[in-house]
Amino acid sequence: MADRRYETLVLIHPEQGEAGSKELAARIQALIEDQGGTVSQVQEWGQRELAYLIGKQRRAFYVLFEYRTAPKALQEVERNLTLMEPVLRFVSVRQAENAPPAPLRPVRRPDREDAEGGGEAVDEGEVDLVGEREMS
Amino acid sequence: MARERTGGARPPRRRGMGRRKVCRFCADKTLLIDYKDSRTLGTFLSERGKIIPARITGTCARHQRRLTVAVKQARTVALLPYTSVYP
Repeated sequence: MADRRYETLVLIHPEQGEAGSKELAARIQALIEDQGGTVSQVQEWGQRELAYLIGKQRRAFYVLFEYRTAPKALQEVERNLTLMEPVLRFVSVRQAENAPPAPLRPVRRPDREDAEGGGEAVDEGEVDLVGEREMS
Repeated sequence: MARERTGGARPPRRRGMGRRKVCRFCADKTLLIDYKDSRTLGTFLSERGKIIPARITGTCARHQRRLTVAVKQARTVALLPYTSVYP
């Protein structure tokens, strides 16, 4: 079966801390590779505010994995992710073969904390109301 | 006495006024629909976090379908809210 291109975005419990989340990210990468996948990119977005509470947490570490693997292997990876306690949630999406790799720092800066709303303009120049609402 | 009536054939009906809306994703081919791009997707959500119908935003059917999928994917990983009003 031909390998396919996937990406998985994983939310890691904030209690893990910066170091713990990095360690877990490495474990997940190893897991994907053990299943015969080839990881092309791992993006750590750092701690981000959640749009709503998950497991009573307001924020989480986001890590994005881009890789190629067989569909069967993906199932196994997903099964293992659900078994990992510190993984709050994840989503796997199949990417088109010709899709560009995820650009670095894709959404907003991860280190934003209390600059909510106000500091938006500095970020990227284009400010929209929606971006601010999202923070509240 | 009688009210004035416009004679002749009626012009094709266009409710309201203003310019015709175009699909943002058709107009700008470089703009991709990505569930990770909460900023762009957020513009297609109402204040309450509901997906705005295509008839309002002018998004074409094909892109609206992809948009809704992306919004739902973004919601599962808390990049976008299901609702702004907490239960």
